[in-house]
Amino acid sequence: MKEPSAQLSENARYYWGVDCGSSEIKVVLCDASGNILHKKKGKTLFPLYQNVYNALNDGDATPFVENSPITKDNHKIIATGYGRHHLQFVDDKLTEIKAHFLGVQHQLKLDVPYTIIDIGGQDAKVITIDNSKVDEFAMNRKCAAGTGAFIEELAHRLEVPIGDMTKLANQHDKEFMLNSFCTVFSGQEVIKTLMNGERIENLIFALYRSVVKRVLEMTVVSTDIVAFSGGVIAHHPLLVELFGQKLSDKEMVLTPETQYCGALGAAVHGMSV
Amino acid sequence: MDLKQIMQNYFLDLDAAAKDPDRKVAWCTSVGPAEILRAMGFDVYFPENHGAMLGATRLCMETIPVANSKGYSPEICSYLTSDIGAYLKNITPLAKAYGVEDVPRPDVLVYNTNQCKDVMHWFEFYAREFDAPIFGIHSPAHLPEVEPEHIANVVAQFKQLIRSLEEITQEKFDPKKLERCLALSSGATSLWSEVLKTAIADPSPFSFFDATIFMGPIVVLRGTEIARDYYRDLLMELEQKVATTRSRENAVQKRVYWEGMPIWGRLRHLSELFKRNDTCVVASTYCNSWIFADFDPHDPLPSMALAYLQIFINRNDTYKEKYISDMVKMYSVDGVIFHAAKTCPNNSNSYYNLPGRLKRNGIPTIVIDGDLCDLRCFSDEQSTNVIEAFLETL
Ligand code: SF4
Repeated sequence: MKEPSAQLSENARYYWGVDCGSSEIKVVLCDASGNILHKKKGKTLFPLYQNVYNALNDGDATPFVENSPITKDNHKIIATGYGRHHLQFVDDKLTEIKAHFLGVQHQLKLDVPYTIIDIGGQDAKVITIDNSKVDEFAMNRKCAAGTGAFIEELAHRLEVPIGDMTKLANQHDKEFMLNSFCTVFSGQEVIKTLMNGERIENLIFALYRSVVKRVLEMTVVSTDIVAFSGGVIAHHPLLVELFGQKLSDKEMVLTPETQYCGALGAAVHGMSV
Repeated sequence: MDLKQIMQNYFLDLDAAAKDPDRKVAWCTSVGPAEILRAMGFDVYFPENHGAMLGATRLCMETIPVANSKGYSPEICSYLTSDIGAYLKNITPLAKAYGVEDVPRPDVLVYNTNQCKDVMHWFEFYAREFDAPIFGIHSPAHLPEVEPEHIANVVAQFKQLIRSLEEITQEKFDPKKLERCLALSSGATSLWSEVLKTAIADPSPFSFFDATIFMGPIVVLRGTEIARDYYRDLLMELEQKVATTRSRENAVQKRVYWEGMPIWGRLRHLSELFKRNDTCVVASTYCNSWIFADFDPHDPLPSMALAYLQIFINRNDTYKEKYISDMVKMYSVDGVIFHAAKTCPNNSNSYYNLPGRLKRNGIPTIVIDGDLCDLRCFSDEQSTNVIEAFLETL
């Protein structure tokens, strides 16, 4: 389905943010004030270049000469995400850590220290913002527990569509924890629990709680405000509530364009380089 | 003489020694008593250097699984598993690099536990394989301070070692030879220290990744004129480079410190990553490990004991915290990267929150996961991301 396209002027300046994540490519187009004029997402597929190119060339918003990666002078393209180094035609690159910060900050305009929890396809990040810059960050190390990949793997095993998970989890009538750290071993644990007669709703709830636990194990959240970003949160809104239960003395804020925070941050970065 | 030639001559000569019934080869750990061995006429071979070569050439990825399948866990030192796997598979990177078909057969193996216990298991494997005598210096470990009784303990072990080696060489130990050997070693090691200190300059004349190459002679040729002369020349060259490179105005380069083992199979990748991000890794604990400022030819055994006990890896975390903080100041470092090497907890000082302690003192730190040899423990994408994000925050 086509997103609505924007009417672009020859004289204005435009900023494209491309977030090349491990499972999805997100693209936003912003005007010079950082208003989103156009956004689009697609699967991260091979060839990456072609997929990003297609996303950039969507509808009338295209600023590009056909079949050529050359941009017009009044457009800047900034990339972030794992795939950023594979895109030759961009004007600049930045890590997702900084991109998510810029994207969240652009939307929330907070002037107090805060923490961003960003759950992505293959990594989870806890970023502390102080003095309007990234003060420190923690990422999941080595394994994918606590990330989108973990949820997806178990959804697959349970044969539950991703979109139904929050609804099912809300119907839980019992709480318990999954113990395994490793995604694959958690899968075994899930199957065993199911065989022991556990309700699938309770299992999905346990699965969400385990994601929250793994993320909070990475570091201490020291600020009063926690902002959420990233595609996984968008698909699984119950996670925000569960984080809130664990961090009960803090304020939880879901960033409006959760999925596009990275891409938007990249576009915002483009305005400063 | 250029570095490649020096290393080639070293390995060819070692090969000749192993084939000559009149010469004797000793295997020694990298921070073991090489000077005693050399003074007693042994040609000295360092298996850790071989492990690093297996890592740098990535041959280890074929050899580690061989050792694993023989019961040596993937969780233990991957120098050990790389090297034992290579032996079991009968291959060596020395063949391609220097035309040497086999590692030299040992007449004796000497290890020092001042760095870790894995070296003991490693050397014991070969002692069994080659039916060769083996001696260990069992050092008091993780010291806050080196006390006189620690030194006395190690000196007594050195003396015992010397008596045992005399039986192998059938020659009386000559203290004069040890004094000379130690003087040469001391000379080389202080020159090496000066070489590393040239990186204090901004811009630094070389990076950690270059230093891992320069360090060949200080590891394998301590106690020889060759090492001393090499570092004298290198120092001159680097000083000249510093003098002729005008200090950059508005320098954009960031300066970081590398704590932990090198990731041998990814040196080039990492070096390019830092370059791409306008960053120089100006100093490291690892390369500094071969500075033995306490060597004193007039007091050989006690000064060797002190030097070998003093090493960073053998100290407690309070010492380590101060050491790294001092380095950060000396090299004007913007941040410290801790490499948590999966198979070498001994050189992975992030395990007990040293990064957090430094951070509290205002020194930015980050931890990346990896390994010295086993690339199965290292993710290019993840570490690139973490390093780049860290550099963005500096
Ligand atoms: S210190 Fe680490 S790398 Fe060196 S031999 Fe011991 S375990 Fe291996």
